[in-house]
Amino acid sequence: MHKTKLQTIYFSLLVAFICVLLPWSGTALNLRPDFVLLVIIFWILRAPNKCNIGTAWFIGLWVDLATGGVFGQYALAYTVTTFVAVVYQRRLVLFSNTQQLVYVLLLLIISQLTLLTVKIFSGNDVLGWSYFLPSITGVILWQAAVALGLNTSRPSRSK
Amino acid sequence: MAGYHQNLDQQQAPAFFARGPSPLARLAFFSALSLALMATDSRLQYLGSVREQLMVVLQPFQLIANAPSMLYDSTSEYFSTHHHLLNENQFLRKQALIQAISLQKMNALALENTNLRELLAANQSLEEFSQLGEILHVGRDPFTKKIIVNRGSNQQVVDGAAVVDAKGVIGQVTRTYPASSEVTLITDKSLTIPIQIERNGLRAIAFGHGRDNTLDLPFLPANVDIKRGDQLITSGIDGVYPKGLAVATVTDIQISADSPFARIVCIPTGGIENHKQVLIVSISQPDSPANSGATTHPAGNANTAAKAAAATKPDAAQTAASKVPANKVPANTTPIVAPVPAAADINQNKKPANPTPAVATEPSTATKPHAQD
Repeated sequence: MHKTKLQTIYFSLLVAFICVLLPWSGTALNLRPDFVLLVIIFWILRAPNKCNIGTAWFIGLWVDLATGGVFGQYALAYTVTTFVAVVYQRRLVLFSNTQQLVYVLLLLIISQLTLLTVKIFSGNDVLGWSYFLPSITGVILWQAAVALGLNTSRPSRSK
Repeated sequence: MAGYHQNLDQQQAPAFFARGPSPLARLAFFSALSLALMATDSRLQYLGSVREQLMVVLQPFQLIANAPSMLYDSTSEYFSTHHHLLNENQFLRKQALIQAISLQKMNALALENTNLRELLAANQSLEEFSQLGEILHVGRDPFTKKIIVNRGSNQQVVDGAAVVDAKGVIGQVTRTYPASSEVTLITDKSLTIPIQIERNGLRAIAFGHGRDNTLDLPFLPANVDIKRGDQLITSGIDGVYPKGLAVATVTDIQISADSPFARIVCIPTGGIENHKQVLIVSISQPDSPANSGATTHPAGNANTAAKAAAATKPDAAQTAASKVPANKVPANTTPIVAPVPAAADINQNKKPANPTPAVATEPSTATKPHAQD
């Protein structure tokens, strides 16, 4: 396992969090990918010993605070998603880029489904299919990051 | 052999295997924690002050996040053309002139109104306290319709204050933080607003529709006197919104044979899309904790009140529905109507000074989303 500094992880999470805090509105808000979750998934695949379910839960609390909803919604969604990611982490690192992409999409959708379940239990309307658009933009962002050279596998094996 | 074992023990386990508690255990632990948090936050309201404290921590990050758009705004302002400025200046001058004239009339009318009220020995209408706020950002939760404005409990904004823009009512403050506050829009599903049809004075309650930016007027009978294009204004009987502000325009009325109620869809006149400035209006209420309680107000109160409003929604709506036929007498032509007796206790505990003695009050005031707790 390669060395990843803890500071790097937290700094990237902070940057992702600030991306969430940007004044999004209108269509952009509906399309906004879940930056924080993407960064968490990335680090879970790359450095599962440094970034784990606990980290995801903690940052989820802050996202809850930022969205102004009931505490624990995003924390729960991130916990469940990262659990799935952690369980399949060893396999995932060996996947090709395309396979990983599908898997990341699946993870993003799991997170949104968890949120949706919580929201429906607390009496919200279903928003329709456009609710899942952030997962698509999230995958596009992931692909863009991969194209720019970010890699979940070991640096020695990077192309 | 023993030495070999010792060697193995001392050797750090490969990082690949060093994973601490199993993922399942972590999942169970953190899920339980989140569920407990959710329950605590939504049911018990202990976390209001915690949220307020944490928002202060969040403030610097929010500033960083807002910096790019602020920079963009100020740069584009700086580079706005001479021509554009001239046009705007001309327009504003014209508008100021028109408004100055109507303001003069208004002053005379206000004076006349005060005198008349004195003659009638009626209560004076409530004074409103307003301040200008700027929209910081739109709420980040796609399920709710909320905006965050840059005035908070430090600026004496209180939970329940009405928020309006130049065109009409936008919503209501539901949570106050030290330097910002959260405004729930009237299109949010959890917000209701007592309205009156401008044309005939018919009173009803508008419910936010939630998904698209519309309002519903449910539980009105199919033969109700509402036309497309009717203007809805605030009725002022709730003690939250000042009377007579534009709320929405009726855009669609559907009457189906299988329902005793008409389906009426309205579009709000005010909007948050085109501008950043809003006016936060709180009706001053004598001996209410509003003035001192800005900081002691836990945000949870907003939640409780909203929940209470949601819980009372159906009854209130039913009351409204059952009341409607009686209200169909045009109230504009008969301005002084004795209050319905049932409204008396509502007035006592919620509105020490009756803001609208000239208008019939009805039990539907129970929808007022924010009791003064």
